[in-house]
Amino acid sequence: MADPMVSGYADALFAVAAAEGDLATVEDELFRFAQALRSDGELSSTLADQSVPVSRRQQVVEDLLGGKASATTTALISMVVGAGRTAELPAIVDALVERSAASRNKAVATVRSAVDLTSDQRDRLASAINTRTGKAVEIKVVIDPTVLGGVVTEIGDDIIDGSVRRRLNQLRESFR
Amino acid sequence: MNNRRTRLLVAPLFALLGLVAFAGPASASGESVGACMAHHLDEAVEANHGDLHETLEDHHVQDELEKCFEAPSPILPELNEVIWGGSAFLILFVLMVKKGFPAVKGAMDARAEKIRSDLDAAEQARTDAQSVQADYEARLADSKSEASRLIDEARGAADQVKADLMARHEAELADLRTRAAADIESSRAQAIADLRAEVAGIALGAAERVVQSSLDAEVQGRLIDAYIDEVAGSNG
Repeated sequence: MADPMVSGYADALFAVAAAEGDLATVEDELFRFAQALRSDGELSSTLADQSVPVSRRQQVVEDLLGGKASATTTALISMVVGAGRTAELPAIVDALVERSAASRNKAVATVRSAVDLTSDQRDRLASAINTRTGKAVEIKVVIDPTVLGGVVTEIGDDIIDGSVRRRLNQLRESFR
Repeated sequence: MNNRRTRLLVAPLFALLGLVAFAGPASASGESVGACMAHHLDEAVEANHGDLHETLEDHHVQDELEKCFEAPSPILPELNEVIWGGSAFLILFVLMVKKGFPAVKGAMDARAEKIRSDLDAAEQARTDAQSVQADYEARLADSKSEASRLIDEARGAADQVKADLMARHEAELADLRTRAAADIESSRAQAIADLRAEVAGIALGAAERVVQSSLDAEVQGRLIDAYIDEVAGSNG
């Protein structure tokens, strides 16, 4: 199980989002922000920099998300940054997403693709994964240009890699 | 030794003293013709009472005077000379027999003995010298044999060192060859691997660019659909 601190923050964020009554939107926005932190090291280091005043870091969050995300999402992220847990924010969001899915008796399937999936593709992929693994899943799409084409799906420790990148890597290995 | 030398010096001195001491009387017996005639004439004149004329006519006086003209015998000496000479000779002979001859004989014996001892010493020295020479020659021979042995040993050691060095160099050379061959093979394999990786990198880079350029939205959608179908189709 995850770090108690991480799960504690995830429970708190889940409770607030549920109480605000917009859990799906907040969850999706938090997930996107966590992916942005993972891919943008400069943003992550800036928000985690203890030498920068908390108010300044929270102002950065509000400047980034103001008008683009819900007020609840912005407030939750600002709270985590203010608590000095920016580095743990992606893990907290992952735990939140899993907890949210678990509350609906589903698992989380993180899908990385060079382009976003349509809702039809998401539904069909969820159905296909359910058919294959017997698990009801919620699809969380991460836009990852390094995949080049195709999809990489992660469900817990299981990885289903159908990316062009993998085929190129296989081709590279065959040259050795 | 000193006694013998003293005898040798004394014997000639006695002989010389005899000659000087007894020569005076022998030469004093001879007198000149005139003195002889004057001596006989004085005696005859005195006998004739001073009558010179008568004395000169006396045949006896004339015979006596004639005798003064007669020369002494060249063979027979005067009797007194015979006596003195014989006495001196006998004295000298006795002295020589008693003193000189033993002294000379002793000196001769001593000389002979000395010469004999010198000869013996010389013989001994020669023997010693021969012994020393033999010893020296033996040592020289030993030295030569020792030097020869040392030279042989040194030559043997040098040959051994040379053989060892050659063997070591051969081994090092073989090792160097082996390592060089291994290095060459390793370098060749590395070069081939590098070349292959380089070619693969170039080919993959080209392939990636081709793929990226060909991955438009439609193709991406088809790839995702194909993936979904693959996941759905591979049950389990």
